[in-house]
Amino acid sequence: MATETHELNLEEKFVFSDKAKKKIFLTLGIGIVLLIIGIILEMSGGGHGEHALNLTQDNLASINSDGTESGGHGHAYSWTTKLFAGMWINNLFFTGLALIGVFWVAVNYVATAGWSVGFKRVPEAFGNFLPIAGVLMLVVFVIANHSLFHWTDTSLYDETSGHFDAIINGKKGFFFMPGAEGVPSIPVFYYGRMIFFFLGWVLFYQFIKKQSHLEDVNGGTKHYRKLVTFSATFLIFFGVSSSISAWDWVMSIDTHWFSTMFGWYVFASWFVSGLAAITLIVVFLKEAGYFSFINENHLHDLGKFVFGFSIFWTYIWFSQFLLIYYANIPEETVYFLERLQSDNYSKFIFINLILNFFFPFLALMTRDAKRKMTFLKIVCTVVLVGHWFDFYLMVAPGTLKEHGGFGFMELGLIMIYGSAFIFVVLSNLAKSKLIPVNHPMLQECVHHHT
Amino acid sequence: MEGNKHFLVGIFNDQDILLKAVKKIRSEGVKIHEVYTPYPVHHLEDALGYSRSRMPVAAFFFGLTGTILAILMQTLMMGVDWPMNIGGKPFVAIPDFVPITFELTVLLAAYGMGFTFFITRGLGPTAVPTIFDIRMTDDKHVMAIDLAENKKSEDEIKQILSDAKAEEAYRKDFTEEEFSPTFGKYLIDVLTNGVTVSSRKLN
Amino acid sequence: MQIVSQVREPLITGGKTYKDVTDDICKPVEAAPSKIWLAALTLSLVLLFAGGYFLGDMLWNGIGRWGLNKTVQWAWDITNFVWWVGIGHAGTLISAILLLFRQKWRTSINRSAEAMTIFAVICAAIWPIVHMGRPWLGAYWVLPLPNAFGSLWPNFNSPLLWDVFAITTYFTVSLLFWFIGLVPDFATLRDRATSKVSRIAYGIVSLGFDGSAKTWMHYESVSLILAGLSTPLVLSVHTIVSFDFATSVIPGWHTTIFPPYFVAGAIFSGFAMVLTLMLITRVVYKLEDYITLEHIEMMNIIILVTGSVVGIAYITEFFIAWYSGVEYEQYAFVNRMSGQYWWAYWSMMTCNVISPQLFYIKKIRTSFVMTFFLSIVVNIGMWFERFVIIVTSLHRDYLPSSWLYFTPTLWDIMCYVFTFGLFFTLFFLFAKVCPVINMAEVKAILKDSNSTVYKGRRTIPNELVPEKDRV
Repeated sequence: MATETHELNLEEKFVFSDKAKKKIFLTLGIGIVLLIIGIILEMSGGGHGEHALNLTQDNLASINSDGTESGGHGHAYSWTTKLFAGMWINNLFFTGLALIGVFWVAVNYVATAGWSVGFKRVPEAFGNFLPIAGVLMLVVFVIANHSLFHWTDTSLYDETSGHFDAIINGKKGFFFMPGAEGVPSIPVFYYGRMIFFFLGWVLFYQFIKKQSHLEDVNGGTKHYRKLVTFSATFLIFFGVSSSISAWDWVMSIDTHWFSTMFGWYVFASWFVSGLAAITLIVVFLKEAGYFSFINENHLHDLGKFVFGFSIFWTYIWFSQFLLIYYANIPEETVYFLERLQSDNYSKFIFINLILNFFFPFLALMTRDAKRKMTFLKIVCTVVLVGHWFDFYLMVAPGTLKEHGGFGFMELGLIMIYGSAFIFVVLSNLAKSKLIPVNHPMLQECVHHHT
Repeated sequence: MEGNKHFLVGIFNDQDILLKAVKKIRSEGVKIHEVYTPYPVHHLEDALGYSRSRMPVAAFFFGLTGTILAILMQTLMMGVDWPMNIGGKPFVAIPDFVPITFELTVLLAAYGMGFTFFITRGLGPTAVPTIFDIRMTDDKHVMAIDLAENKKSEDEIKQILSDAKAEEAYRKDFTEEEFSPTFGKYLIDVLTNGVTVSSRKLN
Repeated sequence: MQIVSQVREPLITGGKTYKDVTDDICKPVEAAPSKIWLAALTLSLVLLFAGGYFLGDMLWNGIGRWGLNKTVQWAWDITNFVWWVGIGHAGTLISAILLLFRQKWRTSINRSAEAMTIFAVICAAIWPIVHMGRPWLGAYWVLPLPNAFGSLWPNFNSPLLWDVFAITTYFTVSLLFWFIGLVPDFATLRDRATSKVSRIAYGIVSLGFDGSAKTWMHYESVSLILAGLSTPLVLSVHTIVSFDFATSVIPGWHTTIFPPYFVAGAIFSGFAMVLTLMLITRVVYKLEDYITLEHIEMMNIIILVTGSVVGIAYITEFFIAWYSGVEYEQYAFVNRMSGQYWWAYWSMMTCNVISPQLFYIKKIRTSFVMTFFLSIVVNIGMWFERFVIIVTSLHRDYLPSSWLYFTPTLWDIMCYVFTFGLFFTLFFLFAKVCPVINMAEVKAILKDSNSTVYKGRRTIPNELVPEKDRV
């Protein structure tokens, strides 16, 4: 075959051009402008009217439920809630992308996958966003606190306060401190977990990155073998931490509600978005003239992953939905009722399913579609947008109640986070060789064909 | 010799040599009848210039039939013919119908495609293969070139074959009956200890 | 031409040629049955008939022969059903999912694993049928036929009916997949056959396959699509089995993690059973060069991963039961741990969660003896898992006055033995008439696998590793 002797430049380096930087800053600028417009609109316009309405509804709710179901006690809605919720959604989404980058690298080492080696620096660069994501997560939690997380209201644990909630009180040990007595003050255990997980991920990531770069210099299989062992260890840590962080950061928003599937559901959503982001960046770099060795076969495999895991996400989504729908237990159905019966959110459920299942399923079904860059670009973008809405649906109904919506503020926040993420990824990608030249399986990747 | 078939059979030892040979022989204007291999050799179909298999298309349409049938069956039986209140759910409870719809889609797609494959490739319990060389299901790649389909002479093609690193190249003649044997003939041959063309001797 | 990295272990050792592959794998099929095979078949038949006697007696006299009572109405029957279906999952996983993930080591084990799938599903299907008591009176109710030939239809909202469709589809599609894989190998056997009977028999089952490039092209396409279809299918089967429990409102059963967790458990137990059988087959049929330490290590890693996933699921269930604040749910889990069936729970935890963790140690996951031992331990654990889920949840229902304890009778045990007899009888018959390793697929990877390979470990028995290759 003609392609047997590749005369490829594997020593290439990614140059983060000024043009690209300009585009990113432009996006960032537009994002900031949109965010400000959004904030002004929220502060002045519609927000105020709804605000008053909300207070009356709150009062009604508390009268009706005798204080056991304290839907919106003590924290009235204001525009800041919307800002915090928007930031929290993006925190979750982009933490997921960064984390899946590391997860992908680790999984490929453990599974001894050869075909993906050539572009592994792309997912590897995702991990650089983890420290930033960690700080953002912590800061937003500290500031937003109450307006996002109902359970942080300490009066819920005070039997004398009238806001006492027996169910949430039962979860005290998990949020504040195991075995905590009386009315707690600071959720030490929750903070501890958040810091521990991010610290763990960042440390694992730093080690993987360091070994991977040492391999460029030293060669040999020593670093490869180390990386396999370390990846396996990371996966164990990831297996536990990803589920628990999903309970912490997402499930606890709807504090009464619970679902054993939830950790894996968040993971599935993260994983598809991560795959779509990796594919998208690889395709863009290929179009910019990098990765000359990547051909239709690599794209085909990436397409298969996006296709397959979109179906996997649907499977997880549907299994959780069906079991709750079928058993029809009020404690559980409330989660879906809150979304399906709301004018604000019901449409997003269908948007979610269309963007994340029907579209990628139909668009990527044929072999040809998976092998065309245009198709992959469209599908991956749609999948990324779709999964952003998936997280929106997880966070917004519990925090914003009837005030949710998608406007300038949300759009602006996505652009700000997105351009920051891309900037971090690309500037780190430019720091090292684009292709891990000494990876023992690189030749398998270069000569990959289906 | 009228109605008889004359072939040149080239035996190849290695998949990579075979792939190069197929391309070389075709580029020299020799028409290859077919190549028989003991295991699937990747890109052989490209080298031979075959168009891609359309089995996935068959699978898709059989699957779609399954989906439609399953939805029709469940809605008609549960929603129209004899509606029943089950757990207070609607008569046509779409989420509950998903599992069976999925199963029937897969069932029809798999079997529809499987039988499309068997039928289009002429595979069946009574099908009898034409064996060019007994080693073709064992360890050799066997290339058959129909002399009637080629203008070049036997010796010329033999030369091309050996240039393409064929291990062996020999002529093989079939009578019409031997070339497309019927199942009845095959059974009689085996039972009367007659040896079907090129096959191993029976005990 | 495929480029294979130096860090990969060889998949087929001993410098085999294509001819060697054919000879080595066809030999046990063509040779007269060996003594050890006859002994194994006899033992299986003894189990089959001994168990069959009790099964027949149970069918004649009714399911009162079993230890079921009015509270625990499902026990060993459904436990065995779920257990066998679970075991049936490994075959499709190996042949379909690993095919899509390009794990080439699957080629040496997929044939036997698929055969095992089919036999395990047969063993599983027996349970729902016999637990009807008098299946000849009503087994057809599960089919979409008008009831009593009037106009009442089966209930399509019932997970039990979904199960009928799922298991049937799974069985038939796996059968097709397995058979299509066998066709080229049957053709090889047909062309090698020297007796009239095998010439005609293999001639019929090989469907006149000739290995032409065109047929292979369509064949490959069909295999890939079947793999693509089987992948969601295999997930759906155990998912639907888990729905049998999870759609109900019984504490300990109704939990949303059940679908993926059952699937992971199924793969876990299926791989363990494949290992148990392959380690035996490897020795009896002298296939050491085809099923190497590398294969065993890979399978052990999958057992480790799925075992850990199952472990995480146990912890999740436990945690959420506490977190939910639902007292019934909390009781169900405390009762599992410390109630009357504490021994079943702790057997399950030890065998399923703790024992596979030993595979982190490379010495253990590359040891034949330990692998064999642990593969059996895992299957014992997975049986207890289903028993724990089913019986412990049922025996403490909402009405304390009806709380009862379930004790198996001899009939429970012997009916289970019957399915073992059936499974092993079918497996040994398969191993005699079909090649236990997919020859065509092994030949397809032979060249890549035999080219210069990095031998970090001795996978070739008694061969010295050159100094430069040591790690």
